[in-house]
Amino acid sequence: MENRERILNVENLTTRFYTEEGVVHAVEEMSYQMDKGDTLGVVGESGCGKSVHALSIMGLIPSPPGKIEAGKVVFFGQDLLSLNENEMRKIRGNEIAMIFQDPMTSLNPVLTVGFQIMEAIKLHQNMGNKQARDRAAELLSLVGIPEAKQRLDDYPHHFSGGMRQRAMIAMALSCNPTILIADEPTTSLDVTIQAQIIDLVNNLKEKLGMSVIWITHDLGVIARMVNRVNVMYAGRIIEKGSVNEVFDTPKNPYTVGLLGSLPNPEATSKRRLYSIAGEPPDLIGKIQGCPFANRCTFVIDRCLQEMPPLEKLNENHEVACWESEKVEKF
Amino acid sequence: MTAYILRRLLILPVIMFGVTILIFAMLMLLDPIERATLYVSDVPRTATAVQKIIEKYGLNEPIPKQYIRWLVGNKDEVTGEIEGGILRGELGWSHTAQMPVTEAIMTKLPVTLELALWSIGPIMASGIYVGIQAAVNHNKFIDQFSRVFAVVAWSFPTFVFALLMLMIFYSGLDWLPPESLSQWAKNIVWDPTVFTQYTKINTVDAILNWRWDVFLDAVKHLILPVFGLSYLIFAQVMRVMRSSMLETLREDYIKTARSKGLSERVVRNLHARKNAMLPVVTIGGLLFIGLLTGVVITETIYNLHGLGRLFVNSAAAFDVVTLLGLVLFSSFVMVGGNLLVDVLYGFFDPRVRLS
Repeated sequence: MENRERILNVENLTTRFYTEEGVVHAVEEMSYQMDKGDTLGVVGESGCGKSVHALSIMGLIPSPPGKIEAGKVVFFGQDLLSLNENEMRKIRGNEIAMIFQDPMTSLNPVLTVGFQIMEAIKLHQNMGNKQARDRAAELLSLVGIPEAKQRLDDYPHHFSGGMRQRAMIAMALSCNPTILIADEPTTSLDVTIQAQIIDLVNNLKEKLGMSVIWITHDLGVIARMVNRVNVMYAGRIIEKGSVNEVFDTPKNPYTVGLLGSLPNPEATSKRRLYSIAGEPPDLIGKIQGCPFANRCTFVIDRCLQEMPPLEKLNENHEVACWESEKVEKF
Repeated sequence: MTAYILRRLLILPVIMFGVTILIFAMLMLLDPIERATLYVSDVPRTATAVQKIIEKYGLNEPIPKQYIRWLVGNKDEVTGEIEGGILRGELGWSHTAQMPVTEAIMTKLPVTLELALWSIGPIMASGIYVGIQAAVNHNKFIDQFSRVFAVVAWSFPTFVFALLMLMIFYSGLDWLPPESLSQWAKNIVWDPTVFTQYTKINTVDAILNWRWDVFLDAVKHLILPVFGLSYLIFAQVMRVMRSSMLETLREDYIKTARSKGLSERVVRNLHARKNAMLPVVTIGGLLFIGLLTGVVITETIYNLHGLGRLFVNSAAAFDVVTLLGLVLFSSFVMVGGNLLVDVLYGFFDPRVRLS
């Protein structure tokens, strides 16, 4: 690629929740970098810290009970975690925008779609009502909603699920963000709409030159649209790198298991669909050793004692596993 | 929105028809003798006198016939004049008030209305405000304090509180007297040459007549009853607002609003409050209806001659006609009030306008 500009550098991010049941270690020592134009996939099963990491970047962790314990989120050389609320608000929705999982509940039911889009424009771009309205209509047609001008005055309940997610995307794009964080935006949509939304975000990314962090548990989506991937387990990145490297030569048993549990429509053998035995660990309290150890087929004594650090295999591939050289895709 | 209001208005007569049937069925639970006795003026009452009344007014005729007569009135065979009929606004003669029931309601209503109007504003405003403050400061001091206050207010009987207030501020300090006006103010208000009673609501009339001394006197007399009524109802509104706001603040669209970079003030006052108001509108409407249809204890203790007093007095005197009129009036207010709540709901929640 031409200009590889570093836009985001997450260092050692650690977010915990202090609940009555105990301390939830939601995100532990998470580090990764993102360059301009990257589409970064963050995969992992439910409750592995994907969404919490996104909210940490946005500064939207509810506090209490949540607390960002350590780390840096450097965005264009500026540590977002050191900003105060007012400074952070100028970045939120403007430089970094976010779309959420459930479009049915993510739009305010008592405000018109147009109003909700215009709100961010007026706030960040200093536009008047008229200008903001034109811009909102333009955005709605950009995300493929017909008769955009008339639909501005509709309420969310006039929109279908797919259209609502389009409206959410329009809202997120309203200030031309540098980074769009998409937190499982297709999970609650049906498959054909999912494909449309993915294509839409892909096209807009090219058109507007955004970088995208796409959070999902759907590996199919990842393979289709991202160039870099972070695989998360129990709040930690256990493997990361370019999507080709990670998907073709996975070196962490968990990644191998995830990829193995994808159905292969071309397979001729009638083997049962693979599933990883056991359950992910409870994130309350500190985990000794590797959190995947009790489910892992490659487990050795060391795994139970020490958490393996991320090790660089090559320029585009890092993995956290003591036995990585033995691990192979099946 | 207009269509929505129209639709609600069209249902109104149907509901009112149902209400009259229900009320009339209640009346029919009493036997003719019970209904007639009050109207025998000679004491001691004799069986023949009662029987005469029953026959004169057809109290032992078939129920549907009586019902229709109750609705449209009775045509006098000799003079050809129509008498009574609730559709014509004739609710009968009130023995308790010594005037027609309609007139009795119309003279007592302003007193009750004044109390209700002065109470509902402060109740809703403070209930909503404190409820929101408690919700956004969840588990902090104001939240804990208002919760304790709500429980105490809720369990503290009105009549004890009202009497205590009267003891302190009237007998003790002589600041705030009972009744609705001082004697000098009554003299002004009742003198048609210097004062026009446009609405019979003292505070409103005083403003319309430009008599600020009368206005202040009326307000002075309202403080205790309004306060006595408000503290309890306020607690109710506050609790509903608090829990509704807490729930709303956990919604996904609040996260969306924050992710746009909106300030916490905008998120709360615009995105959260409008949604959280819905349950409060409902109970606010019901509370106002409750205030309008009689606050018996407060009116009795502060010696205000409103609908609540009329209700108690006519019940004590077994004045069926007055009671019936009051029940009919209350149901009318109830239906009207609910209509108002529905309209307000449409204003707050666009989804309602569809259905």
